[in-house]
Amino acid sequence: MSDQQLIKEIISGNSTAFRTLMERYQQQVFRVVMGYLHAKEDAEDLTQEVFIRVYEMLHTFHGEAAFSTWLYRITLNMSLNQLRKNKKKRLLQSLDTIFNRGSSDKTPLEMLEREEQDREIRAAIDALPEKQRMAFVLSRYEELPQKQIATIMNRTEGAVEQLLQRANEKLRKKLQSP
Amino acid sequence: MKMMKREHLVDELIRRERATESNPFLASRVMAEIERRSDRAGRRVPIWQSVVLAGTIVAVVFLGITIGSSYSERPTAGMSLNINDGQIENLGYYNFIDHEQND
Repeated sequence: MSDQQLIKEIISGNSTAFRTLMERYQQQVFRVVMGYLHAKEDAEDLTQEVFIRVYEMLHTFHGEAAFSTWLYRITLNMSLNQLRKNKKKRLLQSLDTIFNRGSSDKTPLEMLEREEQDREIRAAIDALPEKQRMAFVLSRYEELPQKQIATIMNRTEGAVEQLLQRANEKLRKKLQSP
Repeated sequence: MKMMKREHLVDELIRRERATESNPFLASRVMAEIERRSDRAGRRVPIWQSVVLAGTIVAVVFLGITIGSSYSERPTAGMSLNINDGQIENLGYYNFIDHEQND
């Protein structure tokens, strides 16, 4: 069943169709949210909120763009809003990841080093400007082609390419500096 | 060389985060939450009912004030109490002490 057919079913009151639609896109939404929040539990909570919003707003979707484009836009907007709210929680989150590290074959020192490296990289990604980060997350976490990213972000392909170049440069510089 | 390693670390982190699987019961969780919210919305009192109730309270209060302020203690002019008590039995007759003394 196509997305459009599923949406018609949902609007006419068939909630099972929504479950099908959600199962189709759940992992995509979750990956994008992970690119912003970097924590599984938070990403799951936000994914849930995204789908609830989608369910509530589905009647406003008229099919001018693909459903996936519409869904990605909602996901990006909600992720950005969540980030603004979440600033205070970050310290607690990093402490949580340090204390709840899973067992692995690495020594505690190696694990600590890796955690520190991860923290630096996440901080560098989080420090990217809004649009660059959007393009970066869609390109690296979702592996979307530039054309689709351009459609989602309402920009030209050239502009997206530029955003990605700048994001990579910024990331490189940030990670070079001690 | 160091930069190459850094870039590899970025790729590695993204690969790990991408590989994180969401909860398989997430769809059920969302469906339950949607149901819960729609139940709550169904139970919510419609706005017109609240408006009607508030309007009724205001009308009752206003009516009470109007009736209360229209009352005055001044007796109506031209109205007098005219009772002919000639036919009423003298209550003094039943006064026990007086009765005893008469005997």
